[in-house]
Amino acid sequence: MSLIQIKALNKSYFLNKNRMDILKGIDLTVEKGEFLAIAGPSGSGKTTLLNIIGAIDNPTSGQVFIDGREISALTSDELADMRAQKISFIFQNFNLLPVLTAVENVEFPLLLKTMPANERRQKALAALDSVGLSRFSRHKPMDLSGGQQQRVAIARAMVREPLFILADEPTANLDHKTGEEVIALMKQSSREKKITYIFSTHDQKVMDQADRVVRIWDGVITA
Amino acid sequence: MMFVLALRNIFRHRTRSLITLSTILFGCTALIFVGGFFDNVFWQMRTTMIQSQTGHLQVYKKGFLKNGKTDPYAYFIDDLPRVETLVKDIPEVDYVAGRIQFAGLLSTGETTVSFYGQGIDPAREKTIQSKDTLDLKKFYRRPDVGVPVVDQGEGLAVNDKNQVLIGRGLAETMEARPGMNVTLLTDTVDGSTNAMDMNTKGVFYTAVKSYDDIFLRVPLTTAQKLLNTGSVQSLVVFLHHTEDTAKVKEKIDAIILREHLDLEVKRWEDVTDFYHKTVLLFDTFHLIMRIVVSIVVILGVFNTMNMAMMERISEIGTLMAMGMKRKAILMLFMTEGFLLGTIGGVVGITIGSAIVHMIAMVGIMMPPAPGGTIVWLSEPSIVPSVLFSTVILCVFIGVIASFFPAYKASRLVITDALRYR
Repeated sequence: MSLIQIKALNKSYFLNKNRMDILKGIDLTVEKGEFLAIAGPSGSGKTTLLNIIGAIDNPTSGQVFIDGREISALTSDELADMRAQKISFIFQNFNLLPVLTAVENVEFPLLLKTMPANERRQKALAALDSVGLSRFSRHKPMDLSGGQQQRVAIARAMVREPLFILADEPTANLDHKTGEEVIALMKQSSREKKITYIFSTHDQKVMDQADRVVRIWDGVITA
Repeated sequence: MMFVLALRNIFRHRTRSLITLSTILFGCTALIFVGGFFDNVFWQMRTTMIQSQTGHLQVYKKGFLKNGKTDPYAYFIDDLPRVETLVKDIPEVDYVAGRIQFAGLLSTGETTVSFYGQGIDPAREKTIQSKDTLDLKKFYRRPDVGVPVVDQGEGLAVNDKNQVLIGRGLAETMEARPGMNVTLLTDTVDGSTNAMDMNTKGVFYTAVKSYDDIFLRVPLTTAQKLLNTGSVQSLVVFLHHTEDTAKVKEKIDAIILREHLDLEVKRWEDVTDFYHKTVLLFDTFHLIMRIVVSIVVILGVFNTMNMAMMERISEIGTLMAMGMKRKAILMLFMTEGFLLGTIGGVVGITIGSAIVHMIAMVGIMMPPAPGGTIVWLSEPSIVPSVLFSTVILCVFIGVIASFFPAYKASRLVITDALRYR
């Protein structure tokens, strides 16, 4: 069974009564452990596709199976549970909680699972260590560089051992060198921990790191 | 950690939180001050009434309150010494004083007016000299504050006979002054008319002008002689502590029942309608003020919570993307409101109490109340029940004011929230 299976997915929005078709008949399968890039220019539908795979947006039509379960029929709470148990996100703007320290940010997703506080903190520290930031555990996000913040975000995504991690342009707000380091870190964790990554990008150098590149253009997969 | 997150979010924008806490503090101080001010007014009113007119309890022959005005002499207390002893033996009782009330004509020879008279026991029902009221702070801290004040001349003494203390308004009408001889003309208990020449020993006033305009006081023995009786119509009972009033009433009721006495007992609050109406009026003012202050504070907290919500839309999107449910988002914001209200309430009553305490130390000079005669010093008290209800109100306001922003936050569309900048 594939980890993710998408069949005839369409997504449309209405803007001032005008229908805008963002995704048109997408078929896609993602296997466990893949390091997959979704490539395409701005407005091509990459983010919308990631949002639907991440169960934070609904398809207009078509089917999306995650770990064998069709998600369009799930309630808001069931989708939240699915995200809490199986899906992690890495955002372009890092999206760390500014009032929490690095280790608290990493620990936060574990609050949504039942786990003793001690074990939670140990896991968070280990995840932070795996991205090379253990000595910054007590720093608040504003005291960290962009690259460090994105590393914390990667640790936060990895810590609860999800089925897959979605990353929407994770290097877009980083300089080239830091971006490469972040992608390398993601790839390393994918290889070592068998975590599936699906990330969007329009940077060729980032695409070169992927096991597979799915190209999307105007809402349609072209390759 | 949710609690920690909520707490840290509150102090994320220190200036804004301080302004909000200041709004709550201002509201708390206003409520504590007004509550304490009114409490002090009530205390002064009831102390004055108890000390100058009603005592804590009054014991009458059954039916006196209902029919005594038309036929006062039909309601003398039988077996007075026994009743007096039984009441005096109650531990909470400070002292018991017999009283006679009568009406008649007062004449200086040139002017004659009608009056109400009270025969009182000078050994028990004392007066204050007006020179002792000049230092208002000292005066209002006297345990016997509220007893009649002798404006001119002196108060009645234990061995006085044929001496009269005239209310200030009545004295002004009569142009009476200390040392002047006056004649009291009244009916005796057996229906004949009796007159007695008296010497004006002093002029007194109480806090109630209408009382001073018609009342005079004579020693109880003089009144009994004037009315040709050996008894009294009422026993005025003074307690060590006003709060024991209900308890002592129960004890006296039990004595009346046990001893088969033809008596009834009333508490001071049963015979002071004016006090009740004043309390009701002031309590209504206090309620209106609470509502107004609550609305102001609700708007302040709402503004803070709404701004906090608007600033954190992207964060809310992140939390929901991580799997936090909508009701958890609602709870997070409401917890922040709850904490803001609780912290504001606790800090508010602490600082508010300190401010009110300082105001009370200085005191506020107040003009005479409507129908009153004397300026008075307000020393707002710190009332525990007001402090408690103010904290509860602040917590309630925090929760109520945060509900709408919290609800809005919980209903955000995740993808829109994540895009929001």
